[in-house]
Amino acid sequence: MLNQFIFIVDRILQAFYALRDNRLRSVLSIIGIAVGIAAVMAVGTVSKGGSYLVFSELETFGLNSVWVFRDRRDKDPNRLVRQGSGLDNYDLLALQNCCDAIERLSPVVMSRGNRMVIQTSNRYSNAQLYGVNADYTDINNDKISQGRAFREYDIKRNRAVALIGPTVVKDLFGEYTSPVGQEIRIGLRRFTVIGVIEEKSRDFLASIGSAGGQDANNRILIPYKLFQQMRGDKSINFLHLKAITLDDAPRASDQVINFLERRNGKNYQYTSQTMSTYIKTAQRILDGVAMIGVVAASISLFVGGLGIMNIMSTSVLERTREIGLRKAIGASKNDILFQFLMEAIIISTIGGVIGLTLGSVVSMALASVTGFPLTPSLLVIVIALAVSIVVGIASGYLPARRASQLHPVEALRYE
Amino acid sequence: MIELSNIVKAYQMGDVKVPVLNGIDLRIESGEFVAIMGPSGSGKTTLLNIIGCLDTIDQGEYKLSGKFVDTQDDAQMARVRSTHIGFVFQLFNLIPRISAERNVELPMIYANIPHQQRRERVRQALTKVGLTDRARHVPTQLSGGQQQRVAIARALVNHPDLLVADEPTGSLDSSTGREIMQMFRQLNEEGMTIIMVTHESDIAAYARRTVQLLDGRIQYDH
Repeated sequence: MLNQFIFIVDRILQAFYALRDNRLRSVLSIIGIAVGIAAVMAVGTVSKGGSYLVFSELETFGLNSVWVFRDRRDKDPNRLVRQGSGLDNYDLLALQNCCDAIERLSPVVMSRGNRMVIQTSNRYSNAQLYGVNADYTDINNDKISQGRAFREYDIKRNRAVALIGPTVVKDLFGEYTSPVGQEIRIGLRRFTVIGVIEEKSRDFLASIGSAGGQDANNRILIPYKLFQQMRGDKSINFLHLKAITLDDAPRASDQVINFLERRNGKNYQYTSQTMSTYIKTAQRILDGVAMIGVVAASISLFVGGLGIMNIMSTSVLERTREIGLRKAIGASKNDILFQFLMEAIIISTIGGVIGLTLGSVVSMALASVTGFPLTPSLLVIVIALAVSIVVGIASGYLPARRASQLHPVEALRYE
Repeated sequence: MIELSNIVKAYQMGDVKVPVLNGIDLRIESGEFVAIMGPSGSGKTTLLNIIGCLDTIDQGEYKLSGKFVDTQDDAQMARVRSTHIGFVFQLFNLIPRISAERNVELPMIYANIPHQQRRERVRQALTKVGLTDRARHVPTQLSGGQQQRVAIARALVNHPDLLVADEPTGSLDSSTGREIMQMFRQLNEEGMTIIMVTHESDIAAYARRTVQLLDGRIQYDH
């Protein structure tokens, strides 16, 4: 076994010597492959960066999010109930443990009509108010940068506590006061700020407009029942829930809608939106862009492969006598095939490694500029090397086979 | 050791078949030193290539060391060349950019001989041809005679039963040619079987037996 290995190494060395003898030519074809691999990697990096960008934006709402609300299309003109959101605290109670695709669920209560005044002594805020439960921050993927999130008893006991976004902090407290523990007035009540919601970057989605609309950083969260009391009714504007996984999101939304329609179907119909539909659309667009890039990069790799094929063919022709000699002193067809194939593989693998290094440097430069984690994964490295070896075999095979099939007598006579 | 019976060989030249060997019967014993002579086109190189297992035969039988050689079986032919036969050519046919050592080592790589043993045998073979001090030179740094001696070392390094030489002095001046022939003579005296093609009768005189070919037939053999 070890001997077998050593004999293979001896044969590989033969290929190395031959390449060393033709340095310029070897270097040129190595460059061809290196550029191809680097191009493929660059495309991979860019598309990875793109999807990272999109995902980090979509994560603003929690990737597994499902929103369920009343479907306001009037399907039956005789329907009597035109008003209301079709959701109230009794529905919420009934929904507890109704559906196995749901991990968490929060009601969302919003202002109606005139906005409530939000102020500290002399500063005002135009923040959007949301009444939610203790699960909401997790569902909506909100992180708390100072203080703490809601706990169950805050909600149950209708404690007058609030979580505020960074814009609210700026508007109400300026930059030099710590808001946690401070009081703010909302409508007629005083609330204690218990935490600050971490800043969310929304540039990308805001720029394409969908789901934009409101500023995620200009929000105040308060316990939903308290908000209902202040508003004077027990209705819930919509439900925001988190499916167990991204793939469960459509099922979770079906389960909730079916449950609610069985319960309130005489009066209301419901509909939903899931993050997964946005994600799938975004992913499709990104895949399309990546595919075009991959095709373009593959062409350069293909040209690199043609370069190897060209060089190997010339080399076989030039070394016809050498091939005849090698056969005369005992090389079999397979030995010759192996040597020339090996030469092509060595060229393409060295090219691959150089291209990989080049591509990685570009990725890391991009990573440090954008802040995205674009370091090439082990998988990318393995694939790039595998591709280069395959290119080597594919482009080296025909010339190598021609070399191996040369007749020794004719090859030795070749001028 | 070598038994050729009724060997027929023709080359395809475009549409016509050109007969080269027309029924050769030849027996060469172990330890002989044979010169094959004849005018150009008489088929002497083809005969040598067949004996050296480089070329196929159309008809007839070839028995080497008591075993029939299937000249159509490429793998078997390569194995026979690797283990039983050493070649010396008119144009030396050294690989240009590798050292004398590496050229001599080459046949052993294809014979799967381990590295340690290879180094030892390269040294022995180069000593035998008197070129130890030129081991690391590349062929272009060597004279014609030296190159041919490297080629002989290469031919001997796998310990073949048979040395096959095609015009080994054809590219050398006459004094260098005589040196090479002295070396052949010496090898033959040590027991090596040698078959050599030449068209020079003074070179053929070094051999103990001469086979004269004409138009693909043996004209005389003495």
